[in-house]
Amino acid sequence: MSKSDYEIIIGLEVHVQLNTKTKIFCGDQNSFGELANRHTSSISLAHPGTLPRVNREAINKGIALALALGSEINQENRFDRKHYFYPDLPKAYQITQDRLPICVGGSIDIPSGDTTRTIRFHHTHMEEDAGKSIHDLDPKNSMIDLNRAGTPLLEIVTEPDMRSAQEVHDFIATLQQLVRYIGISDANMEEGSMRCDCNVSVRLKGDTQLNNRCEVKNINSKKFAMQAVAYEAQRQIKLMEQGEHIDQQTLHFDSETGRTSSTRDKEDAHDYRYFPDPDLPPVYITDEEIAQIKEQMPILPQAQKQLYIEQDIKAEHAELLIQERATVTFTNELLQAHQDSSAAVNFMINKVLPTTKEDYHDDLTTFPLTVAQCAAFLKLIDAGKIIHSTAYQQLYPALLADPTADPAALCESMGLSQSNDTDLIDDLIQAVIQENPDEVKKYQKGKKGLIGFFVGKVMKESKGKADPKLIQQKLTEALQS
Amino acid sequence: MKIDDALISKLERLSRLELAVEERAQIKVDLNNILQMVDTLEELNTDDVEPLIYMNEEHKAPREDIISNELPHEAAIANAPVSSESGHFLVPKVMDK
Repeated sequence: MSKSDYEIIIGLEVHVQLNTKTKIFCGDQNSFGELANRHTSSISLAHPGTLPRVNREAINKGIALALALGSEINQENRFDRKHYFYPDLPKAYQITQDRLPICVGGSIDIPSGDTTRTIRFHHTHMEEDAGKSIHDLDPKNSMIDLNRAGTPLLEIVTEPDMRSAQEVHDFIATLQQLVRYIGISDANMEEGSMRCDCNVSVRLKGDTQLNNRCEVKNINSKKFAMQAVAYEAQRQIKLMEQGEHIDQQTLHFDSETGRTSSTRDKEDAHDYRYFPDPDLPPVYITDEEIAQIKEQMPILPQAQKQLYIEQDIKAEHAELLIQERATVTFTNELLQAHQDSSAAVNFMINKVLPTTKEDYHDDLTTFPLTVAQCAAFLKLIDAGKIIHSTAYQQLYPALLADPTADPAALCESMGLSQSNDTDLIDDLIQAVIQENPDEVKKYQKGKKGLIGFFVGKVMKESKGKADPKLIQQKLTEALQS
Repeated sequence: MKIDDALISKLERLSRLELAVEERAQIKVDLNNILQMVDTLEELNTDDVEPLIYMNEEHKAPREDIISNELPHEAAIANAPVSSESGHFLVPKVMDK
């Protein structure tokens, strides 16, 4: 049988670190990239006799996610202990939700060619992160940093609804955008604030039974997720072709070789002996609390895209504008301030977003110009005070270099104001015609495309101040005579 | 519940302990005693009794998200048998990187 006779089935478990100020069960600061063991307490270090207490904000962020995914919210939340030994887990158990997860069900749509695919969620539960172990710096020891121990996590578990490595990539990208949008996590995969496990199985097309699956653990980039899924599916298909059995197992993905390999965990090492954590009484979520969070929710990306399309913004432009919540906020304010929506969208897409990407780490909140300045800039063009191309090519960079300046004043002081001094334009046209006799001949013999060349020359001579339409009109007349 | 060698071996693995032969014999006795003690409960009919998980459900209001009670770094690592200059706890090398 050929590779195309097989179907790949993938479900993900995505861990999202919440951006609360403190940890999930104690008041240690929740932060990344600090010196080792600077944010710990007797609770995160598991000193005897200490008691955990749930962080309200972690619960609220769980509710926000449930609302965004269309999940049902369990209003009674309980916590369970999951037992295993590892040096970065001081209590020798992780507090998680085994039986009553905060969110159940829900789905999101991911782009798939011209249409969308719906990926369903099984559930999402709250849990605490473990500390961080470093195995390769000290020759004799493993080094343990417990700053991360107790960081709030949401583990988002999908149904086995993905069918290709590309879908896995697109799903992660969509989910990443969504959690950033609702402001619960920075979902930075490089820094580990979003990571995923991929459950992969294969079967012959048309089969309805699921075969044994393998779980590729702890993947920290969308690219690696694609590679891991593709490699793993290939490996399983090869085994099936050889008539071999696929063992259900946990795998490690090596990003350097692009291969998966067995972690050689004994299966009974996964006897986690879950039981309810008696130290943490149930947390009840009220209808009022849910309503309050619902009120604070932003319009979600896909709904915002629809709104843009209804405002006659092209779908591909709308797609670019909804990538980040900061972009949507900026765009909406600019659309309020400047009535010509196509000019505003054009400016966002051709200037603001590329500049932000190149010079401001893709973070629009650090973009130096205010919405009011951008609107004033657009108004200058709209009112014919400056030529569009001159504004984009000269005034805009000057504004960025002097972000406190008033666009109108700067336009004036740089001498960029549009000038339709027809005598001057006529003079410039005559000069350009005299300097380029060969081109004039060619034009007159029928090479009409050269008009652009002449317009460009005159524009340049006018220092970008003359209206190119007027120039073209006058040039056409002058060249005919 | 029968305490046999297979169960002792499983508990050894789960708790990362290695017991000597004499210790295994002793722990069998101890575990049987503990189970016998708990078995006393079997004398009562608990069919209609809800499992008691939480001794105290009073203090169930969640905590506000405010930084509090952090330990100074020196205090955090003071009891560590070994720590590094970088402030890490040091433990015997964990091989499964």
